[in-house]
Amino acid sequence: MTECLTKTGKKVLTKGNYAIANAAVIAGCQCYFGYPITPQSEIGEFMSGKMQELKRGYVSAESELGAINMVIGAVSTGVKAMTSSSSCAISLMQEALSYAATDELPVVLVSVMRGGPGLGNIYPSQGDYNQATIGGGNGDYKLIVLAPSTVQECVDLTYKAFYLAQKYRNPTVLLADGMLGQMMEPVEFGEYPYPEIDNSDWALTGAKGRTSRVIRSYGPLADDRCVFLKKLFEKYKTIEENETEWEEFNTDDADIILVSFGGPSRNVKSAMKECRRQGLKVGMFRPVTLYPFPSKRLNELAGRTKKFLVVEVNMGQMVRDVRLAVNGKVPVELFNKPVGSPPEVDDIVNEVKRQIKE
Amino acid sequence: MAALTQIFKIPDSIKKGAKYSFCPGCDHGVAVRLVGEALDELGLRENTIAVASIGCSVTIYDFLDVDSLEAPHGRALAEATGIKRARPDKFVFTYQGDGDFASIGMAESMHTALRGEKVTAICINNTTYGMTGGQLGPTTLLGQVTTTSPTGRNVEYYGYPIKIAEHIALCDGTAYSARVSLDSVANIRKAKQVIKKAFEIQLHGLGFSFVEILSTCPTNWKMTPQQAHDRVRNQMMEVFKPGVYKDITADRN
Repeated sequence: MTECLTKTGKKVLTKGNYAIANAAVIAGCQCYFGYPITPQSEIGEFMSGKMQELKRGYVSAESELGAINMVIGAVSTGVKAMTSSSSCAISLMQEALSYAATDELPVVLVSVMRGGPGLGNIYPSQGDYNQATIGGGNGDYKLIVLAPSTVQECVDLTYKAFYLAQKYRNPTVLLADGMLGQMMEPVEFGEYPYPEIDNSDWALTGAKGRTSRVIRSYGPLADDRCVFLKKLFEKYKTIEENETEWEEFNTDDADIILVSFGGPSRNVKSAMKECRRQGLKVGMFRPVTLYPFPSKRLNELAGRTKKFLVVEVNMGQMVRDVRLAVNGKVPVELFNKPVGSPPEVDDIVNEVKRQIKE
Repeated sequence: MAALTQIFKIPDSIKKGAKYSFCPGCDHGVAVRLVGEALDELGLRENTIAVASIGCSVTIYDFLDVDSLEAPHGRALAEATGIKRARPDKFVFTYQGDGDFASIGMAESMHTALRGEKVTAICINNTTYGMTGGQLGPTTLLGQVTTTSPTGRNVEYYGYPIKIAEHIALCDGTAYSARVSLDSVANIRKAKQVIKKAFEIQLHGLGFSFVEILSTCPTNWKMTPQQAHDRVRNQMMEVFKPGVYKDITADRN
């Protein structure tokens, strides 16, 4: 897999999973801990060799519980570390994510979605939008969630995941899907484009010449906890103000705006273009950050368009966030496929025509 | 007049002014102090990262003056593994209860031992879940009454208690596994030497080191401190026999 390590600006053809793994190595990920699960096992396979070659940390963990908690241990010392997994196995990590968010630790988690619920299957899916953005851990917390739509974006957003995790000391999820993980596309890696963040004021490195530090979530006094949570949510507000990212096309004059994230948004974009070719005023909106969600912009657009059509590969999860954002100004409809490859372009076009007529 | 000699001192590794929140007669306080003394004597305080677990043991970061991370229930050794892999030059140890180490965290504990992770685990065995009010745990003795074994632990419903130090000794990655008791002054002194030995094993990079500490829980056992220590001596030490179960340096001694 060494060809993946090209940093010369030359394009290389590689799978999404390898692209993510290699980008993590370039980003300076010092430790990888993982447990196998399809469709993301290539990440751990790549890391097992590469991290040893580079004399960095690698453990084939006993479970996903082990893996994510090893990441917590590593990042608590100020180094960059990550794990990767999929759907049912990410369910096992929810407890640790709640701790990591509360402990304000820069955990990076790559989630390559497969079909669910339960064991589900290994087809691509977007069924873990809620798992990533709302979460299954206890208490009030947020994870930063980035959703790539191409293999190149798998690279770019892996870099960004490490940066945002460090910048805000907040667990960050790269939410890909089985299709992106398994598909090959030409990518450029380049250098890690972000500045390094100084961790020296909080990381656990041994209390040499300074007061000892404790990273803890236990807050036995109710009043203290209130203060802490308010402060934590001030941080989330800052993240929402500064880091919300999306793409939009042809929204200025659109009668209907298609909303889609991740891999399936590519078919939605093709469908939008086809609609335009046929003279229909169709726009498209793609959230890149799922948390923070671009609610404000969607609400603005709701003042100009007549309708939103959310296209996703699940039973309708992001549609709820779009409805909250639009807040009843115009109808928000859902065109979904429960699991598998994205809806066909023709099917999306036909649905758009149907929605325009209604 | 002869010069005064200081014969008692709070270890530097214990926070100044720390007030133990443990119940009267609980051995946690003694165990924490021994850990503090061992860290002092080996000069480790400024190079240590401790991992606290869930249960009464979580509060060690209120008492030990070292960098500390709190792990979710059962995950202390996974976090210790992450720390050690990220910073192999640091001294890393966990402080856990028997429920944390040998019930909910059994997978993490066994696999850390099997990997020969160069960390140390201190496990307080008091045969019950102390913080939650005295329920049956993995080390609850046969016949022992707890809030979830109201007529005593029987094999039919609950199965058998685990002998942790013996099991950890069976793992190839374990360099040192021992069990100690804090029921008497002599045994407290022995315990200190065992803890120091376990720490030295890590410092020499020999593998996983483990110390099980038999401890009282007078509140949940509904005993006086004296009765509780008698129970450790007369009942627990009969089943959980103190001793060194594995020491890969033994031949060299």
